[in-house]
Amino acid sequence: MTVGGANPVARPGRAPAYLPALGDDIEELLSRVRPSVVQLQGRHRVLGAGVVEGGGGRVVTAHHVIAQQWPVEVVGADGRRSAARVVHADPRLDLAVLDALDGAWPVAAVGDSSRLRVGELIFALGHPWGQPWAVAVGIVSGLGPLRLPRRPELPECIWSDVRLAPGNSGGPLFNARGEVVGLCSMVIGGDLAVAVPSRTLSRWTQGVPQCA
Amino acid sequence: MTGILRETLVLSAVSAQMADAVERAARSLVHVSGRARYGASGTVYASGLIIAADHTLERDDNLTVEPPDGRALAAELLGRDPATDLAVLRVADLGLDPASPAAGPVRVGQLALAVGRPAGQAVMASLGVASALGGPLRTARGPVLEQFIRTDATPYPGFSGGVLIDTEGAVMGILTSGLIRGVGLAIPMSIAIRVANTLARQGHVTRPYLGVGAQSVRLPDAQRRASLPEHGLLVVSLGDDSPAARDGLMLGDIIVALDGRPVAHVETLQALLAERAVGATCGVEVVRGGTLTRLMVTLGQRQPGARA
Repeated sequence: MTVGGANPVARPGRAPAYLPALGDDIEELLSRVRPSVVQLQGRHRVLGAGVVEGGGGRVVTAHHVIAQQWPVEVVGADGRRSAARVVHADPRLDLAVLDALDGAWPVAAVGDSSRLRVGELIFALGHPWGQPWAVAVGIVSGLGPLRLPRRPELPECIWSDVRLAPGNSGGPLFNARGEVVGLCSMVIGGDLAVAVPSRTLSRWTQGVPQCA
Repeated sequence: MTGILRETLVLSAVSAQMADAVERAARSLVHVSGRARYGASGTVYASGLIIAADHTLERDDNLTVEPPDGRALAAELLGRDPATDLAVLRVADLGLDPASPAAGPVRVGQLALAVGRPAGQAVMASLGVASALGGPLRTARGPVLEQFIRTDATPYPGFSGGVLIDTEGAVMGILTSGLIRGVGLAIPMSIAIRVANTLARQGHVTRPYLGVGAQSVRLPDAQRRASLPEHGLLVVSLGDDSPAARDGLMLGDIIVALDGRPVAHVETLQALLAERAVGATCGVEVVRGGTLTRLMVTLGQRQPGARA
């Protein structure tokens, strides 16, 4: 269930104070989504981020985060840890599904990336340079295909000005309603973040076996 | 998920309004193809007329413009002004509404979105604030821009000629990374439209000039009277046939005012000149041999590479 949100504070003779309400909303959004964001570690080193996308501890992340590393451990925001096994991986889409073997994990709400609009706010949660559960804000800069030399074309991507660093890879992008709309994949030219949209992710995970 | 969720209404509304602002601005943005590697953006400012960034047009002919509907239309270059990095294109049957200029003055700290159409139909945007208002600017390509807007919104490749907008989608300025290499700047819309109107009318911008080389100096104590300012501009060179030489300025004169406005720095003199027309007569106050003298100088037209 939901209840009403923060309200702008009325101020006699002046415009309502929207910014405190905006700050409250961002705090609310982050506290809601943070438990579903995980850290992926290999030999106690931060490899990247992931998000719990399905029941039974099904974690989605970027393929390149886990490609060179094994075994991988999943760490929750509350400090819990679990061994993980790779259920499915696709280097071309840069996606992987892990099964966090131990315990129940809070699942994130997945949104529909086909409804994203250029200019809307997005939040990246991850572990840039190993800083745990750090948030960065930006907007959807563009939507479209990714064509890079010596790589297969990706037909749909989210482009963003959100500032990412190593450790953000595989972490979720949330929209202003706190829904996962993409997974961080790479940064181009130093300042253009590229994410795999949730629509691509959902299509791809439909063919993936459920976690126990 | 379980538990009571509080809706993030203000956040959602802000997010939707920013997307609305981008959508509104994008209706007046076109993609401009005028260079070899990749194209840039252009902004419709009047019916059939587009402001582009001068440095993104590497040729004068064979220019094309793509509106949001994906047509490729031939564009005619009406004029360009390297000093402000602006150019004007005319396209028949464009059918796009002109961008709406922001009503009030730009305020430092105001939320700002950089919006461009760097690749065909797709619009792109980045978020930041109006970081600073600067100017006058003496650029490598010419004399001065009276004012510019600095922003921390990411200037993606191909954004030059696009717009910096407020949260309503109204245009604060035209983006360019060509004035200071790689730094995202916006030329205030009022200046951009003024320059564009001149370019559409006559193909180039005429800038008045005096024809002096000058440097800021502190006036010698012996020459300072109560009525004189502390600093002035020492004339260190004079162009042959320059308006200043013709109308009586001499090497060693210290210019202290132009039409009664004090000039302590070269930039101030340039800004005052930029406000005046070629052929206008100005009162130039100089200290010569300890005496304040007023000369009347008729401003000439700057040739490329000329001094102030």
